[in-house]
Amino acid sequence: MTTTQAAPALLTPAPAPRRRPGHGYRWSARAFVLPGVLVVAALMYLPFVWTSYLSLTEFNGLGDPEFVGLEKYREMFADAGFLSSLRNTLLWVVGTLVLPVGLGLLLAVLTHGLKGAFWYRLPFLLPYAISGVAVGVIWTFILQSGGALDEALTAVGLGSLVQRWLLDAPLNTIVMIGAATWQGAGVNALLFGIGLQSIPKEPLEAARVDGASGWTLFRTMTWPLLTPLTTVVVGLAIVGSLKQFDIIWAMTKGGPGTSSETLALTMYKETFVSNDYGLGAAIAVFLTVVTVSASVLYLRRQLGDPKGD
Amino acid sequence: MADRMRKAVLVALGLLWLAPVYLMLANAAKTDDQYGVVSVWQAVGVGGLLENVATAWTRGNISEGVASTALYSVVGPGLAVLVGAAAGFAIVALRLRHGFVWFVVIFAATVLPMQMLLMPLFIGYVETGLYDTRTGMILVYTVISVPFAAFVMRNFFTGIAHQVFEAAVMDGASAWRIFWRIYLPMSTSALVAVFILQATLIWNDLLLGLTLTQSAGTRPVMTALSALQSTYGGSTMPTVLAGGLLVSVPTVVLFLLTQRVFTRGLALGQF
Repeated sequence: MTTTQAAPALLTPAPAPRRRPGHGYRWSARAFVLPGVLVVAALMYLPFVWTSYLSLTEFNGLGDPEFVGLEKYREMFADAGFLSSLRNTLLWVVGTLVLPVGLGLLLAVLTHGLKGAFWYRLPFLLPYAISGVAVGVIWTFILQSGGALDEALTAVGLGSLVQRWLLDAPLNTIVMIGAATWQGAGVNALLFGIGLQSIPKEPLEAARVDGASGWTLFRTMTWPLLTPLTTVVVGLAIVGSLKQFDIIWAMTKGGPGTSSETLALTMYKETFVSNDYGLGAAIAVFLTVVTVSASVLYLRRQLGDPKGD
Repeated sequence: MADRMRKAVLVALGLLWLAPVYLMLANAAKTDDQYGVVSVWQAVGVGGLLENVATAWTRGNISEGVASTALYSVVGPGLAVLVGAAAGFAIVALRLRHGFVWFVVIFAATVLPMQMLLMPLFIGYVETGLYDTRTGMILVYTVISVPFAAFVMRNFFTGIAHQVFEAAVMDGASAWRIFWRIYLPMSTSALVAVFILQATLIWNDLLLGLTLTQSAGTRPVMTALSALQSTYGGSTMPTVLAGGLLVSVPTVVLFLLTQRVFTRGLALGQF
């Protein structure tokens, strides 16, 4: 079969027309894609459907789920704990956009074109390879009552600034965003750095010749040219902050009480601590809707660009 | 801004950024007698380091966590790159009918937050006897790595000229042989990149370990560290810090050695 197909191709000097491989290979194609589709369907899509269904039920993990319609969603939006968790999550999203993203951009601009930029960036990149739990361990040690920060403040005569960092809301959420900034700012700097490097030199030079410089140059030229990458960084930051679990779990477990819980934690606790599977599922669905909407921001760009490697 | 000014700001911020690392190292190295007596900001040699690491290693069950997690983060991504590459190969080289649709089916799973999967995974794992087993953990870590692997491998294969495939077909090679002998060897760099990124992700995972394991023999290392931290009272702060240090060394070293891989992976939106 292959030889008969090859013969006409040899006779035509023009490039062979793009065609699908033969019948046998078409069957192989299905076999090759099957394992991936199967495992993703079984362990990701099936659970997705199941959780969606459970959000419409009353279920404590034992016995059978009892269908209650949208009751759990009504309960969720009336729950003070959920609303406080929602506020904290919002604080995480906004805080992440201001701190790790803002600082990342600043670091990228500061190191751009600098000799030895790698070494200047290294201290900021190092924490990125450290897990969320280990970051939480370090920062708990720093922020606990009488910890490293309190000691340092007192030593330099700023003892009046000492706070119950991890005990009072919303301060505990804010300092945890600080810990996440410590972990993530370097990576955003790296991404913005790639963006700055890929900006074509000509328009910048032209603007410089026209007399633009410093802040004006950045605002009118660099920033607009950086937009595609900013979209990706912002999208990733939003999704990352919505999913943040590890640092909070390691530092406060959402406490004291539920004062520093976010949706990711509330879902976990409602399900596996309170055994209210229906409510946990409703929160999971809500979190998913928000996360997927945010993901569309950067995914559209990635999927539209198949050579993104 | 003048270069000197920029450098001054960067050095000041950089020192601030290194302070937590310094604090961790300084205090993980203190003996129980020194800790609490000497200021946390003061380093007093490395007298207690080995003992603290040893305590975390044994009493904190970090040793078992490291063994399990090493297994998970090697086998999981290893299987995932093969499954992902096979899917990419089917779509790009074998020109699977409606290939893009199938690709989206596999890739779109990455947007789901883990919270959406936890409950059914927990229930399903308990029902099928996979709960608290290493097999179960390998399975789940493999599956969550597949979408990204398929994404990168599909992109990579797009860059291989289709004539390569056609030439092999003319030689009478089977699809399996073309995949195994030609496409996989040609894409080692991409396979390694995906492997490293996913291995790091799995090494650092807390949530799946928390949900799907309970005994020391199966629990991944970050879950063990989290438990070590919350039961401290039994273990001292230097021990907890030593544990944190211990589990961070592998990923930090890997990251520094393969920074370019991470840069590319980041741009793809994995982390």
